[in-house]
Amino acid sequence: MEIQTRREGQCRVVCISGSADINASAALREALLGAVEGGDTRIVCDMAETDFICSDALGVLITAYLKARGRGGFLHLASPRDHLAEILETTRLDRLFSIYPDVHAALSAG
Amino acid sequence: MPDAVRQTDDADGWVRKVLPTDLTTVRETEREVLGRLRELGYDDDQLFAVRLALEEALVNAMRHGNRLDPDLSVHVAYLATPERVEIRVADEGLGFDPGGVPDPTVDENLERPCGRGIMLMRCYMDEVAFSASGNEVAMVKYR
Repeated sequence: MEIQTRREGQCRVVCISGSADINASAALREALLGAVEGGDTRIVCDMAETDFICSDALGVLITAYLKARGRGGFLHLASPRDHLAEILETTRLDRLFSIYPDVHAALSAG
Repeated sequence: MPDAVRQTDDADGWVRKVLPTDLTTVRETEREVLGRLRELGYDDDQLFAVRLALEEALVNAMRHGNRLDPDLSVHVAYLATPERVEIRVADEGLGFDPGGVPDPTVDENLERPCGRGIMLMRCYMDEVAFSASGNEVAMVKYR
């Protein structure tokens, strides 16, 4: 898994490429929780290149979402591939996260 | 202390592996099983499902079953055929009651960061059964 981040206005876009599996979840945790604790509470996760996610990594997304929300911000998900979208639906996490077709739409929603 | 993967390929077609309780062995085990299924013609949806279920089973066995104790092992057996794949994962821990795991999909549990592994295994495999002690899970995916 590779993580790249960039700033878009007042938001932090976190691009997650490859497999968010058990061996990658620590890096994901560091990237997302580090962003929130560093003051970036408006986060968009770009999942266009994420080809796998395990329950541990889902837990990292949830933790970061809750911390961002607790500080008045948000964590949105953008452009999940079909397999990821299916997991989000199966787990009903599509009810928790706001999911957008692309990063631009997520940033516009704010 | 189990410090290396041990493997036997039996005449009955089952491949049996003994893994150390080391989360870094998960990916290689997945790669091996999925490679075999790819050779047999399983499609991307099936490969994704098996990878997800195997990942959750192995992580559960190491983290929750063996409590990351490096002195304990995880026993994996799989049978891959053109018609189905069967996978069994057993740990050496104290066991648990899979029926006691709260449903992560109900509204009051959606914000819980953990507890989704078993439901994902059940959703993505065609058959999932736990032993009475909870130490072993047997899963089947039909092609």
